[in-house]
Amino acid sequence: MANLNIDSIKDRKFDAIVIGSGMSGGWAAKELGDKGLKTLILERGRDVKHLKDYPTTNLYPWEFPHHGEVTAEIREANPIVNRCYAFGEDAMHFFVKDKEHPYVQEKPFDWIRGYQVGGKSLLWARQTQRWSDFDFDGPARDGFAVDWPIRYADIAPWYSYVEKFAGISGNKDGLAELPDGEFLPAFPLNAVETYFSKHVKSKYQNRHVISARCAHLSKPNQIHLDQGRGQCQERTLCHRGCPFGGYFSANSSTIPWALKSGHVTLRPFSVVESIFYDEQKGKATGVRVIDTNTKEAIEYYADVIFLNAAALNSNLVLLNSTSHRFPNGLGNDSGTLGKYVAFHNYSAHINAEYDGAKEWTTDGRNPAGGGYIPRFRNVYKQETNFLRGYAAGFSAYRYNQTTSEGIGDELKNNLKNDDLSGWKVGSHMMGETIPKESNYVALDKSQKDPWGIPKLKISVDYDDNDAKMKKDYVEQMTEMFTSAGFTNIKASVDSRAPGLDIHEMGGVRMGKDPKTSMLDKWHRLHACQNVYVTDGASMTSTSCQNPSLTYMAFAARAVDHWVTNKGKA
Amino acid sequence: MNRRIAIRNMALILGSVAVLPSCLNDKGKPVVALKHLKLDADQENVVNNLTETILPKTSTPGAKDLGINLFVFKMIDDCFDQKQQDEFMDGLKEFSAAVDEKYGKSFNELTPQERAAFVTGMEKQAKENRVKTQAADSAKKPAEPNKAENFYNTVKGQTVFGYTTSQYFMTKEVVYELVPGRYNAMFPVKKKATA
Repeated sequence: MANLNIDSIKDRKFDAIVIGSGMSGGWAAKELGDKGLKTLILERGRDVKHLKDYPTTNLYPWEFPHHGEVTAEIREANPIVNRCYAFGEDAMHFFVKDKEHPYVQEKPFDWIRGYQVGGKSLLWARQTQRWSDFDFDGPARDGFAVDWPIRYADIAPWYSYVEKFAGISGNKDGLAELPDGEFLPAFPLNAVETYFSKHVKSKYQNRHVISARCAHLSKPNQIHLDQGRGQCQERTLCHRGCPFGGYFSANSSTIPWALKSGHVTLRPFSVVESIFYDEQKGKATGVRVIDTNTKEAIEYYADVIFLNAAALNSNLVLLNSTSHRFPNGLGNDSGTLGKYVAFHNYSAHINAEYDGAKEWTTDGRNPAGGGYIPRFRNVYKQETNFLRGYAAGFSAYRYNQTTSEGIGDELKNNLKNDDLSGWKVGSHMMGETIPKESNYVALDKSQKDPWGIPKLKISVDYDDNDAKMKKDYVEQMTEMFTSAGFTNIKASVDSRAPGLDIHEMGGVRMGKDPKTSMLDKWHRLHACQNVYVTDGASMTSTSCQNPSLTYMAFAARAVDHWVTNKGKA
Repeated sequence: MNRRIAIRNMALILGSVAVLPSCLNDKGKPVVALKHLKLDADQENVVNNLTETILPKTSTPGAKDLGINLFVFKMIDDCFDQKQQDEFMDGLKEFSAAVDEKYGKSFNELTPQERAAFVTGMEKQAKENRVKTQAADSAKKPAEPNKAENFYNTVKGQTVFGYTTSQYFMTKEVVYELVPGRYNAMFPVKKKATA
């Protein structure tokens, strides 16, 4: 940013620095701005301004050169990111291309990234569920990771706090395994989703099919209008950026709000190379940034640093922040930094047909995507031969029975045939994976990225637990579908690499014991208490819920903790 | 606004195709600017005429009216990889040879009625092979691919894709809504609009 006077140390001194401007960084910046702290947000990518920088948001399908398809040249140059479901002609400008920011795959890992202001919050699938005590208690109960230093009661008020501002639609379902929140009206289930929901409830104990909860303004409140956002228009073109601000993104919500406070400065094109640590003072004093345009190194100073660079990049920054005191990475007394990385497993699907409810269809599009099946395995007791469990999506739909049979008038008529098909139903698994020491990220000793920073080396894989869980998903869903009278049931499992679920977590985990964890119960580094990490890196275990809402709540809570306690040990 | 320029350029190419083939008799020179595919003018016209045979001008616009033939070239040239493009070229040659064998002249020299008759034959054959392939799949024995038929299926697939995502189709034949502004989860079938 040209208007930053970088010559003067005084101008490079802030109350707080936030590294990263996405889901959690946006929240940290908003909270710091609201509390009047002079704050600098560092973003490695370019700026993406709400409305102004959504070039495809209002294009019709025929206005894209290839009507939405990706060219062979781009596919071949981007084998990794091309595997992402949202990487199409309409949104590929928001994804990191494979060659731009290389990393080392010790084992195959599809690292899907969005390097720009707003990060991946522009691109996310917007599913938002709270965690429950079953999730926070899990590791202590079945011993698969260290105990979380917090419980649901610690975070519940912060869930409420961020939900009210972000705008989450959902029903109060009254489920212990999926706590209710501060909801806007839910997007309702359709005829067959409702039928399946009722069937499952009557037939199975503790299994539920509910309306998916999502970050859409189904009916905005004043606080949403104050952000300049409006009602969701059911376009379901969210990944292009929403001109209505209908879904929550940092671009439409937290970042402009933070900037409006007058206390916050945004600096895009700034890759953070490291955080530096002052041994005399016993704390972090600032960060070194490489300007991606000029390659110039610049230092910024602050009393507190919030690290929200997205899970694996937050690991990278800490690993690369070495000093005499911390030769193996900032705060890494335990030796756990970069280890116990986990993710979600989305690699099984099931489809079927339903012969009933022919008198009903749907009209318009459902931004929530349909139904959600909260985790029902190993919740109240360990009942299977694998640890933890999975949630699942569930949706039902009909389509116009167009065919491309024939030529001439016959073909033209077949293509606009609006006779409805019968109902089709589908589900996909969302499994929890177990954090293991052998799943790690580290700095590559020999290779550097274009900014002179060591490349990140990723070594993460599935295990036997994942295979057993996947098998159970297929068996249980097949049984539930059969029992509901669905026919032509077809399950499929794919052999995707980890990462494609875009929910990588861990490496800077929270814990009670500094010997086995990096962060305390306030998300501070145990060993450097003015550095907070509140993104996916901080996750001790991964649950099977979508993680974004939890990052938002963590970030808001951590800022509150700093502002309330700063200066005190 | 590069996309709008691209669309405008496509309209210009469309204009030239409408004029040039009728007045130029140079066999070697293709009209459409392609980056990867190496087609001569005859081959190019086989594809043009094939798209128009699949989607002819009737009471509604045809492939050439809507520039679908150009869209097909663009997609195969830009979105197909080298292997798929090679298969396309091989298939085009076999398709042309099959026409020559049957009629003793090229696809471009056939009357529209003859073209339709030949293509209808391919449709029938493609359908039969689909059924056979499905049967073979269950027996784990893939059917032998027929290159001419694969070529035909490719051109048809891209013609259909271009047509069903064209402005004409999405505004006149069906109504695509960029901003629905509603989701009715329980909507009676009998109320469903017909367009």
